[in-house]
Amino acid sequence: MTTTTPTRPDTPGTLDRTGEESTRGAWLVVMKREIVVRALNKTFLVGLLVSVAIIAALAGFMAWQGSKTDSFTVAVPAGDAAATAAVASAAAIPEEQGGGAELTTLEVPDDAAARAALADGDADGWLHPADGGADGGAGGWVLTGEADPDSTLTRLLTAGVAAETLDANAQAAGTTTAELTAGGTLTTDRVDGDAVDSQTLFFASFALALLFFIGALGSGQMIAGSVVEEKQSRLVEIMATAVPLRHLLAGKILGSSVVALAQNVVFAAVGLAALSFTPTASILPSLSTSLVWFVLFFAVGFLGLAALYAVAGALASRTEDLQHTTTPMTMAIMGVYFLTFSASGTFETVLSYVPVANVVSMPVRVLSGDAAWWEPIVSLLILAAFAVVALLVSERAYRGALLQTGGRVGWRSALTARA
Amino acid sequence: MARLRRQGEARISAAGRIRRGLAVRNVVVMDNDSLEVRGLTRTFGDLTAVDDVSFAAPAGLLTGFVGGNGAGKTTTMRMIMGVLAPTAGEVRFGGDPVTRADRRAFGYMPEERGLYPKQPVLDQLVYLARLRGIAAPRARAEVLDMLDRLGLAGRSKEHVEKLSLGNQQRVQIVAALMGTPRLLVLDEPFSGLDPAAVDGMVDLLAEHTARGVPVLFSSHQLDLVERLCERLVILKSGRVMADGAPADLQRTGALRHRLVTSGDAGWVRGVPGVHAVDVDGPVALLEVADDASLQRLLATGLERGGVRELTPVRPTLAQIYREVTA
Repeated sequence: MTTTTPTRPDTPGTLDRTGEESTRGAWLVVMKREIVVRALNKTFLVGLLVSVAIIAALAGFMAWQGSKTDSFTVAVPAGDAAATAAVASAAAIPEEQGGGAELTTLEVPDDAAARAALADGDADGWLHPADGGADGGAGGWVLTGEADPDSTLTRLLTAGVAAETLDANAQAAGTTTAELTAGGTLTTDRVDGDAVDSQTLFFASFALALLFFIGALGSGQMIAGSVVEEKQSRLVEIMATAVPLRHLLAGKILGSSVVALAQNVVFAAVGLAALSFTPTASILPSLSTSLVWFVLFFAVGFLGLAALYAVAGALASRTEDLQHTTTPMTMAIMGVYFLTFSASGTFETVLSYVPVANVVSMPVRVLSGDAAWWEPIVSLLILAAFAVVALLVSERAYRGALLQTGGRVGWRSALTARA
Repeated sequence: MARLRRQGEARISAAGRIRRGLAVRNVVVMDNDSLEVRGLTRTFGDLTAVDDVSFAAPAGLLTGFVGGNGAGKTTTMRMIMGVLAPTAGEVRFGGDPVTRADRRAFGYMPEERGLYPKQPVLDQLVYLARLRGIAAPRARAEVLDMLDRLGLAGRSKEHVEKLSLGNQQRVQIVAALMGTPRLLVLDEPFSGLDPAAVDGMVDLLAEHTARGVPVLFSSHQLDLVERLCERLVILKSGRVMADGAPADLQRTGALRHRLVTSGDAGWVRGVPGVHAVDVDGPVALLEVADDASLQRLLATGLERGGVRELTPVRPTLAQIYREVTA
């Protein structure tokens, strides 16, 4: 014995027998640990960074695609006014109608020069009359490329040649194109106002379903793993003597919820920021509203899921059992993922009220402008009720299963266990 | 052990009181901070793992908890710590039924223990201390002090999985001992420790018994229990087979004598009241019925001449253990 005992049983700071109140903040201690341990976990951090990089790269690619102007050089026979006019007409097609490309003409003295220009890459295509113009243009036009001509260039020149020919024919008939086509336009309109188009909606619902899937599955597995780690090592026995198990469970659920939510907020923020640089920036306001709902729904829904995942962890007795005990949760989350991004119509409306599926479906309906103002609120209340029930059930099952050692524990045995 | 014996007046008198109370089993003078279990029973389905177990771990004493695998030691300890609910019976501390607040101030070392493998030693000990209501700065100071004394000072920042098993066990010991516990319940604390580590552990435990804390520990190592314990509880199939101070238990066992003579000792077979367990030339191991028989044996020996030695042979704990659990 090198030193005498420095403290006595009644030293301040030691718990006395009436020290019940000091367990009150225990959940906070547990929550902080869960957050810190997860946030410092290398696998988690690397995963987060990679995901952020992928989102940013995707958005960057979309922005680049959107801002990119196609430019082509078209070889035309020297002095062929009709060919030059057709190219000019193609270049004049506005961006909204699929045009907006930059077209330059390159006059070539003869066919050999045109082929040389194509072979050297000086020209992307060679527009020339069929049969060398022998029949005065009645045989139509040919676009020759080194290989198959670029599809965009073909589309543009098809329109350009048609317009130019129409002009020429109209003139020959003593009228104008404008007179011929007067009243022949068609525009579209929709009753529900200026909402998001269906393609964007599909991508948005896919993105939300994916966010839900990654967040719920990743953080759910984390909480289950952290529970079984303590059970397997018997650390939970030490902790159970120090604090009520309720505190341990609450700290874990809140800690992993905070991490899952923060992760989704980061993803959403990076996604929105990146989107603002793309041509789809116009949907940002409605998308932001929808994302706020998604974050709210996710926060409430994940509380319930985390509680059930904690039970899945407690039912296992070793880490190896986790795969088995978390299967129902994994199936449910995958089901939500597949159903919600493919659902539509009445089925989607129903899903938007079914707990956990509504985490994705309701924000999607908000985005499509399909949901009345009160619908997300009612759906959120239903989700909250689910979360409360899940928390209550899980508290009992967690307590019942956590201290049963030796093999996997069933739900029934967990819920009916004495202690 | 010598160190233990050197301890304060209070403890020795407490021990004395306990030993006087030993004549009748389970009647123990309870100190303020003693642990007592009464009629503790736990069934798992059809299996009765712990069956009406009663004993006490008096304040300031090391109580050894001995029994084979499946005897019910761990189940009993888990019930004491509130990890498992008893089917029947109760746990009392300081004369009253034990409360959650009491248990919060108990130090516990479970069997098959582990720690967070990927968290640094200091961090997780401070975390466990904070769960027991100890403020972080105080927990830190205390943990560092204890790690230092166990020779782990330089390793407080290492992940637990990087430590050897022996060192991991030391970390677990710190987890049980921090926060000046009022009772220590240690399931197999010595298993896997080398002799030097055992001595270090004994020193640590002695500090706690010196301040009046009851220490209950289970062990398979009977020689160690014999060396350390002031009290002993032997369990078999969930029942208490023996309970008391080792010396008292040894006295209750059949007392044997060893006789050494100059010639052949075969003559002892003829002495009334004396049963020869084994005679090997001049050496005989004898069971003597009573004092009169012993005097008769000695008188006969002196008459025949050549008696070199007649000594009582106390059974070892291992022998007692085998006897009561047979």
